[in-house]
Amino acid sequence: MGRLWLYLRRYWRRYLIGGLCLLGTATLVMAIPWWTREVVRIIEQGGSLSDVRFYALLIIAAAVLQGIVRTYSRALIFNAGRDVEYDLRNDLFAHLEKLPLAFYQANRTGDLMSRVINDISAVRVMLGPGVLNFVNAPVYYVYAVILMLSMDVRMTLAALAPFPLLMIVARVFRGKIMKSSLEVQQQMSVLSSHVQENLSGMHVVKAYSQEDFQTRQFIELNKDYEVKSMQMAKMRGMVNPLMQGINGLTILIVIWYGGVRVLRGDLLVADIVAFIAYLNVLAWPTAAFGWMLSLVERGRAAMRRLEEILATEPAIASQAAPLPVQGLKQCMEFRNVAFAYNGQRNGHAAIEGISFKLAVGKSVGLVGRIGSGKSTVAQLVPRLFDVSSGEILLDGQPLTHLSLSDLRRMMGYVPQDPFLFSTTLRRNIALGREEYSEEELDRAIKIAKLDRDLAIFPRGLETPVGERGVTLSGGQKQRATLARALLMDSPVLVLDDCLSSVDAQTEAEILAGLRPFLKKKTCLIISHRISAVKDADEILVLDDGKIIERGGHEALVRRGGVYADLYQQQRLSEELDQI
Amino acid sequence: MAQAAQQEEVLGKAYDVRLIRRLWKFIVPYKRLFLFTMLLLPLQQAFGVAQPYLMKIGIDQYIAGKDLWGLQNVMLLFLAALIGETVAAFAHHYFSMLVAQRCLADMRGAVFAHVQKLPMSYFDRNPVGRLVTRMTTDVDVLQEMFSSGVLTLLSDLIMVIWIVSIMFYLHVGLALVSLALIPPMMFAINFFRVKARQNYRQIRERIARVNAYLGEAISGMTVIQLFSRERKTYREFEELNADHRDAYHLSNSYEAALYSMVEAAGSVSLGLLLWYGGGEVLHGIIGIGTVVAFKEYVHRFFVPMRDFSQKYAVMQSAMASAERIFQLLDTEVDIQNPKNAVVPKPFRGEVVFDNVWFSYKAGDPVLKGVSFRIAPGEKVAVVGATGSGKTTTIKLLNRSYDIQQGSIKVSGVDVREWDLHALRRHIGVVLQDVFLFSGDVRGNLILGDPSVSQERVEQAARHANADQFIRQLPDGYFAQVHERGSNFSVGQRQLLSLARVLVFGPEILVMDEATSSVDTETEALIQDALDKVMRDRTCLLIAHRLSTIRNADRIIVLHHGEVREMGSHAELMEKRGIYHRLYQLQYEREELKLTSHADSTVIA
Repeated sequence: MGRLWLYLRRYWRRYLIGGLCLLGTATLVMAIPWWTREVVRIIEQGGSLSDVRFYALLIIAAAVLQGIVRTYSRALIFNAGRDVEYDLRNDLFAHLEKLPLAFYQANRTGDLMSRVINDISAVRVMLGPGVLNFVNAPVYYVYAVILMLSMDVRMTLAALAPFPLLMIVARVFRGKIMKSSLEVQQQMSVLSSHVQENLSGMHVVKAYSQEDFQTRQFIELNKDYEVKSMQMAKMRGMVNPLMQGINGLTILIVIWYGGVRVLRGDLLVADIVAFIAYLNVLAWPTAAFGWMLSLVERGRAAMRRLEEILATEPAIASQAAPLPVQGLKQCMEFRNVAFAYNGQRNGHAAIEGISFKLAVGKSVGLVGRIGSGKSTVAQLVPRLFDVSSGEILLDGQPLTHLSLSDLRRMMGYVPQDPFLFSTTLRRNIALGREEYSEEELDRAIKIAKLDRDLAIFPRGLETPVGERGVTLSGGQKQRATLARALLMDSPVLVLDDCLSSVDAQTEAEILAGLRPFLKKKTCLIISHRISAVKDADEILVLDDGKIIERGGHEALVRRGGVYADLYQQQRLSEELDQI
Repeated sequence: MAQAAQQEEVLGKAYDVRLIRRLWKFIVPYKRLFLFTMLLLPLQQAFGVAQPYLMKIGIDQYIAGKDLWGLQNVMLLFLAALIGETVAAFAHHYFSMLVAQRCLADMRGAVFAHVQKLPMSYFDRNPVGRLVTRMTTDVDVLQEMFSSGVLTLLSDLIMVIWIVSIMFYLHVGLALVSLALIPPMMFAINFFRVKARQNYRQIRERIARVNAYLGEAISGMTVIQLFSRERKTYREFEELNADHRDAYHLSNSYEAALYSMVEAAGSVSLGLLLWYGGGEVLHGIIGIGTVVAFKEYVHRFFVPMRDFSQKYAVMQSAMASAERIFQLLDTEVDIQNPKNAVVPKPFRGEVVFDNVWFSYKAGDPVLKGVSFRIAPGEKVAVVGATGSGKTTTIKLLNRSYDIQQGSIKVSGVDVREWDLHALRRHIGVVLQDVFLFSGDVRGNLILGDPSVSQERVEQAARHANADQFIRQLPDGYFAQVHERGSNFSVGQRQLLSLARVLVFGPEILVMDEATSSVDTETEALIQDALDKVMRDRTCLLIAHRLSTIRNADRIIVLHHGEVREMGSHAELMEKRGIYHRLYQLQYEREELKLTSHADSTVIA
C-alpha cells in the first residue's frame, strides 16, 4: 500500500480542502433541522411571525450555502480520485514499456488490459467515492448523535435501537450477495465457454448435424444461469426495501414514543420534527456503510494486484553504467549460445551450441524447418530475450554490457509476424525515424516493392492501415515492415523470415533490389526459402536448435545434405507453380 | 498511433419504438406476470406516499389533540404501510427480475439457435469473440434496462403524479409554494442533463481511445521496444490519458453540482414552506404536521429527477445492445433445408462433381469447373499443392458452402435438394485438426445421440484401436475431456475421431489426413484403424500418407482449382506430369524415411 500513500500525498491539498468542505457541508446539514426545531417551537409555543421568518430565511441561506460547499467537496474529492487514476495509469504504462517479451508471452493481452482497466478503476472508486463516504459517515454520526442526545437522551436511545439491526442486515446480505454473485459469474463463464467451444467447433457441429443437440445443452446451462441469477435477485431485492423499512421503523418509534411523551408534556412536537430530520440524515450513511467497506476492500485488492506488476523487475535492461554503442566496427559473434524458454519446454533448449561470426559488411543466412530455432537466434540479437548460456559479443563486448537503446537503435529488425499500428502507412514506416527525407522514404518503399501498392491506394502514404494493419494483405504488411527497417538505415539488419507471405515473383524482385543496399550493411537473414539466403556469405542450417550444416550455397548444394534436399524441393515446387 | 480511435460505440436514442416492439415480443409469453409486476408498482408507492400523510395526522390530530388512543391507531396504520411498502417493493423487484431473466434466457436461446443455422461462411467472417459477446454481455446490458431503466422511469412518473395530487389535496397554497422551485429546477436539471450527455459521449470516446491505445501498445510492445519508441509512445499515451482525466473532471463538476443542487433545493423548499406555512400555522389554518409532511413529499419529489440522467444512459446502451442482438437475429440463413427436401432411398454412396465452380470471395474462384465421379465403395485420393483447392472440395460435399455453378450429386441427387440433416448423416468427416468437445469420452463418440448403446460405442472404439487407451483412463469411457481435447495426445485424438465415424456409421467418408507426426507405434494403430474404417465405404481422401495414396483406387490431381490428372498411382507416375513432381515433393521423402527407418531396425 506504500505506493498509494505516495499518490495520496501528491494530492493532499485537494483532499484536505475537500475534507474541510465536507465538514462545512455536514455542519450546514445539521444546522437545518436545528433551526427547523426553533421554528416549530415558536409556532408551538405561540411566538411571533417575524421570528419564524427569521429562521426560515436562515434555513434558506444555509441551504444555498450548503449547495455550493457540497459541490466543491464532491468535485474536489472525486477529481482527486481521477488524478490518482491518471498518475497510476501513466506509471503502469511506463513500467509495461520496460518489461521484456517473455512477460508478454506469460501474460495474455486481455488479462493485462482488464487489470489496467478494472483494477485501476477499483482503486479510483476507493479514492473518490470511497474516501468521501469514509469521511462523511463518522462525521454525520458524531454530529447527529450529539445533537440528538442534547435534545433528549431516552428518545435518542429509542430511536437508534433499530440501527444495530440495520447493520446486521447489511452485513448478512452483503456476504450472501457476494457469494451469490460469484456463482452467477461462474455460471456465466460456463455459458460463455460453451458458446465459445460451439463456435470454434462449428464445422464439426454442422458435419455431424449437432445443431439441435448443442442448442438443447445450451438451453440447459442457460436455465441454470437463470436460476442462479434469480437467487441473487431475491437477495438484492430484499436489501433495499429492508433498509428502508428499518429506517421507517425508527421514524415510527420517534413519532409514537415521542407522541406519548408530548402528551405527557415533557417533550415538544418540535423535538419530534428535529428527530425525524436527523434520522433521515443518518439513513444514507448507515445504508451505505457495507457498500463503503466493500469499496475499500475491492480497492485494496486491486492495488495489491497492480503493485505486483509494478514490482516486476524488468529482466532485460541496460546495466548500471552501460557502454555506448556507435555502429559495428568489427564483428558480431555468437559464442556457444544456448537458449531455453522458461519452463515452457521443460528445460529443453530451443537452441544450443550456436557459434558464428558475422563480420561487418557481411551477411549470414539461417535456414531450417519450422520450430528449428531460427527465429530464436534472431530474437537474441536485439535482446528480446537474453541467452541462457554462452554469449553474444559486439566488437568483443557482451551485449549485456551495452546500452540497450543504443543497441536497438543500431539495428533494423523485421519480425516474422508483421505488426502495424492503427495509424497511417507513413507513420508506420517512419516509426524508427524522427526526421527523414522524402527521398529516403521513397527509396525504402521502392526496395520493399511497396510503390505499386501505394499507387492503388487513393490516399497513398496517408492511408490508415486499421487495427494491426487489417486493411492490408499479409504480403503488404510484411513489405511495410521491411520498408520500416530499411528507412532506419541502421548498420545492422535482421530479417526474420520477413517475406513468407510475399509471392515468389515479388520476393525475387525485392531480393534483387535489396542486394546493393545490403552490401553496405551487416545482415542476419532468416528464411525458410533458400532463395532469400543463397547469396549470404555463410549459410547455417538449423535443425532442432543445432547447426547441422554450414558453408556457402554452392558448397552446401554439392554436399548433398539437408540443405541440398531443401533446395531441390523448392525448385520442384517452383516448377510446379509454373505449370 | 494518436489516431488509435476505435469505432466509438454509437449511442443513439434512448427509446426506439421499433426496438421496443421487438423486445416486447420476448415479454409476451410472460405477459400476465409482467402485468402483475406493473400493478405492484403503484401499490408500493401508495404505501410509501401514505406514510408522510399518516405522520401529519398523527401530529396534527392526535398529538395536538392529546389523543393517545388515536395516536396508537394511526401509528399502527403507519406500521402497516411500512410493511406493505417493504413487501410490495420486494415483490415488485423479484417478479420483474423473474420476467427479465426469463425473457433474456429466451433471447439467449434464440440467438444461440439462430447462430447454429448460420452458414460456415459467416463464421469465416466473424470472430468468435464478437459472437460470444452478443450472447453474454449484450444480453446482460438489457437486464440493466429491466432493473434500472424503463420500469423505474415509469415508476418515477407515477410517483410524481401521486405526490402532486396529495399535496394539492392537503393544501393548495403550500403545494404551490413547495412546487414553486420545480420549474427552475427542471430547467437547471435539463441544462445539466444536456451538458452531461455531451460530456458522456466525449468520455466514452476518450475511454475507447485510451483502451485501444493501451491494447495496441501491449500487443505491439516488442515493436515499440525494438524501435526505441518507449518515450514517444509514453507521451502519446499520457496525452490521451490526460484528455480522459479532463473529460472526467468536467463530468465530476456537473455531477457534483447536480447532486448538490437537488439536495439544496429540498432544504430551500423547506425554508419556503416554513416561511409561508409558519404563518398559516400561527394563524391556526394548518397544523405543524402538515408542514412536516410537505417536507417529506418535496424530498421524495426531487430524488427521481436527480437520477434521471443515469437512467437515460442505461436506456441508451440497452438500445444499442438490442440493436446489435436483433441484427444478428436478422442475419439470413443462406444455406437452408430445401422446401421439398429429398431423402433418396436406397442410398448409394455415389458422388458426382459436375463442372463445379466455387469461390469464397467473388471474382477469385478456388474451383474452376471441377468434374469427377466416385463410384459407391470407391476410394479416391485428392492430391495437390497448397492452394490447389483440395480442402475446399471436401467442404462442399456436405454443403458447408454452396457452389456458384455446376452441381454436386450424392446418391444421384443434388446436395441442394437433399434434406440437409439426412445428407450429413450419410457423410462422415474426419479433419486434420480433430475437434473434441469438452465433456466425457463417450459423449464425444455418440455426439448427442443417447440411444447409442454402450456396447456399440465400445465395439467401435475397439475397432478403431481406441478401446485400449480409453480403458486405461481413470474413468474409462466417462473420463473427462478438457476444452478442445487438450488432455489427449494428437494420436489419441485421431483414433477417437475414427471411432466417432464408426459409431456414426456413414456410407461416405471424407477425410483430410493429419500431417502432424506421431510415434511409429501410434502410427501403426492409426493405419490399421484407418484401413478398417475405409472398408466398404465410399472415400474421398486428402492424402498426406504415402500408404493412403498407394491404397487408393484412383487419384485426382487438383492444380490451381482444376482437375489436371486422374488415374492410379502407377499410371500417373508414368505420365511424369504434375503428380510425378508432387510425389517427389511430398511423398518420396516419406518413403525414404520409411526405408531408412526399416534399415535401421534391421541393423538394430
